[in-house]
Amino acid sequence: MVLIKLANLCYDYPNTCGLDHLDLTINTGEFVCLMGPNGSGKSTLLRILSGLATPKTGEYWLRDQAITANYLSDAQRRQRLHQTVGMVFQNTDVQLFNTSVAEEIAFGPRQLGLNDAEIAQRVTDCLHLTACETLRDRVPYQLSGGEKKRVALASVLALNPEILLLDEPLNGLTIAAQQQMLTLLQRLNAAGKTIIMASHNFQQVQAVGQRFIIFNSLHQLDADMSQADLQSQPERQAQLMTL
Amino acid sequence: MDPKQPTELPDWLQQPASAHSQASKTSFLQRNQRHLRSLLTRLAQPAPVVKNQRWHLAPQINLIRLLLLVLLIALINNVTLLWCLALLLGFQLLLLPPSQLRRFVRSWLISSFVALLFVLPSYWLTGPGTLLFFGLKTSLMLANAQYYRLTTPFQDLLSGLKALHCPDVLIMTLAIAITYLRMLGQHLLLTMEALELRTVAPTKHPYRLIGAMFGNLYLKSYAYALELYAAMEARGFNGHYVRTSPTRNHWPDYLSLGPDILVLILFIFWRN
Amino acid sequence: MHIPDNYLSPATCGTLVAAMAPVWTVAVIKVKAQVKEHHETLPMLGIAASLAFLIMMFNLPIPGGTTAHAVGGTLLAVLIGPWAACLALTVTLALQALLFGDGGILAFGANAFNMAFIMPFVGYACYRLGQKLHHEKIGLAVGAYLGINVAALVAGVELGLQPLLAHTASGAPLYCPYGLSIAVPAMLTAHLLVAGWVELVFTLLVFQFVKKVAPTNLYQTPTRTNQRPWIALLIGLAALSPLGLLASNTAWGEWDPTELKQLLAQQHLSTQAPQGMVHGFHFQALFSDYAIAGLPVSVGYILSALSAILIFLLLIRGLQHGSETTN
Ligand SMILES: Nc1ncnc2c1ncn2[C@@H]1O[C@H](COP(=O)(O)OP(=O)(O)O)[C@@H](O)[C@H]1O
Ligand SMILES: [Mg+2]
Repeated sequence: MVLIKLANLCYDYPNTCGLDHLDLTINTGEFVCLMGPNGSGKSTLLRILSGLATPKTGEYWLRDQAITANYLSDAQRRQRLHQTVGMVFQNTDVQLFNTSVAEEIAFGPRQLGLNDAEIAQRVTDCLHLTACETLRDRVPYQLSGGEKKRVALASVLALNPEILLLDEPLNGLTIAAQQQMLTLLQRLNAAGKTIIMASHNFQQVQAVGQRFIIFNSLHQLDADMSQADLQSQPERQAQLMTL
Repeated sequence: MDPKQPTELPDWLQQPASAHSQASKTSFLQRNQRHLRSLLTRLAQPAPVVKNQRWHLAPQINLIRLLLLVLLIALINNVTLLWCLALLLGFQLLLLPPSQLRRFVRSWLISSFVALLFVLPSYWLTGPGTLLFFGLKTSLMLANAQYYRLTTPFQDLLSGLKALHCPDVLIMTLAIAITYLRMLGQHLLLTMEALELRTVAPTKHPYRLIGAMFGNLYLKSYAYALELYAAMEARGFNGHYVRTSPTRNHWPDYLSLGPDILVLILFIFWRN
Repeated sequence: MHIPDNYLSPATCGTLVAAMAPVWTVAVIKVKAQVKEHHETLPMLGIAASLAFLIMMFNLPIPGGTTAHAVGGTLLAVLIGPWAACLALTVTLALQALLFGDGGILAFGANAFNMAFIMPFVGYACYRLGQKLHHEKIGLAVGAYLGINVAALVAGVELGLQPLLAHTASGAPLYCPYGLSIAVPAMLTAHLLVAGWVELVFTLLVFQFVKKVAPTNLYQTPTRTNQRPWIALLIGLAALSPLGLLASNTAWGEWDPTELKQLLAQQHLSTQAPQGMVHGFHFQALFSDYAIAGLPVSVGYILSALSAILIFLLLIRGLQHGSETTN
């Protein structure tokens, strides 16, 4: 089932182009890897999908709803979008603002009108899933980069979003932690979540991604292929290895 | 990191989320994001300044002119002299490209309106004459200040102050303030966006969030300060902030002060 | 609380800059000492200035759907120390006046006096007192509330003195048209009722956050060596500054107690009875027949003609299509 449809979408920053004429369709339950050189527009696409930015031209459809600036001017609709789409930022510093990790994770569910027991359950589950149990009472500000990434993911998961956007989630993680993060994402994907992840760690993501969307340095779509297609193109793999 | 991995996802995470939404007004986050974005755009690309080589004045002269003009306008209560000063500014405005002129008019009108809002009630106190006079003077001052802002890049302000022999520490602090205004602003904007993405219901305790946001921003500033000091030391910082200014022909600079000084002389002359 | 240009007479502005000069000097000396122990204080001055800028531009929601701004003077004093806060806020105010049009350029001294001196020091003094009595948070809360209100009071006095200090022969005010009886209550009610509470809550919550998350990043009061002379100097200054305001008037015109009374009475009178058109200015002449009293008709015509041409040219230019001719 088509979940996200982008048609002829352009996004311009004040002095540079962010995305150039993008056409893209993403189905429910896909595990998509966005790849491309630095500044090719991966983060820009994630910002648009999350509703933080709205394109100047072109369309963004989420199921049968066009997401436009006008649509998002209503707070209630915006909140609905935020419940559907969760995002882990590239710079997790900006995402963690509470005084303890448990508080950080409880921030989302607390708004959903859940009772205290349910909230506590979600916090415990999320800590468990991201292997952050030991960090429970720590101050997020003082965590290491990798720990912050995991706490940020936990805090987003606690809202149970259907679509999970991740911007360079593997940066700053050890190889073991990267593997663990990817395993968790795969498991979430198997449970029906759609996952869209920007990364340039081809080595790590090539085994888990089901679909690879590759941008070039002109902010255009360069290639869009399934994992199987990619396997049969060694030169493309070699190119992605160098990112 | 704990090597054991949970094998099962909890139930709530496997079920599709139930839609939950409550009516709410536009949040304060939205408004602040808008303000911050416009500030950042402004900082990222300061107004394309007119670089008319022939009429380009030394930064310190521009600064002195601004101070002199504002002071003169504040002191002068003679309509004719004020009128002359307004004409002077008007001719300067003619040199601006049209788009900048429009920008000037827009922000000038807005700032005059804001500044005058508070004196409007004095109409009943002092009558229209005083109000009109006050309004004209205020908007003339604002126009001069606005013209300065429109035609002076941040860097010129710094080199102007430097040329006027301001202490190095002050100039360095100003330079840091401008640079970090952008970085901290960016950080604050991203924080608000991240917060917004996790906001799925009207905020019950906005002040707690704001406290956390600015608390984080302070800690970030502190971290920046530590980093910056390390960087300064690594580059052999010795407390001096050196800026070379090109040698230049000074006569147009002094000439440009001419009309203002003429008005000053007239003002002194007229008072007696 | 940013006083714009033309609300204060140049004499008042000059007096307040003069009043700030010793404060700045002491601040620079104190901060230099602080830098010796905490090197990061030096870059922190600039960074804190930008932090203060962001605090002042942030819209805080208040019940009723409108918004207010915090100033953050007390908060900054507690976070980076009062002297550093004084310098940082001064830089913020200078940036706002010169580059962003917030607060006047001439009124810079007055704004610095209110927001970079009175506010952080009143706030910090209350905070320290609270700390001594082991109720740090109460001290901070009182400090934040008092700090902004005292600053507002001083601003109100500065504004309210204007009609007394500067007026035309017929008594029409040249600068801020409101007397003390209007300016002070207006400033105070706004701050006592709304802005003070906003400042209090904001300051307290940010402080609590920092205290909880990273208590070591708070300003540690240096062990007292010999602080008394500075305090004496400051108290002296605080007492002197209103005197300075008045003294400047002596320089400006004539001043004695009887006249003060007379002026106050007149001021009071003018707040009661609308004065209508003030004849001290020749505005009707200006707008009715292009002539200005005391000026040859020919000059008036020339000025009018020049203005008309200029306005016409500006209009044309403003309507032109923006082919950016900048290089
Ligand atoms: N806030 C911004 N302002 C201006 N330009 C930006 C901004 N963010 C990104 N860009 C530009 O947009 C382009 C795409 O950036 P981005 O989407 O962040 O790339 P990626 O995430 O693929 O590295 C780059 O050229 C970048 O310089
Ligand atoms: Mg990116």
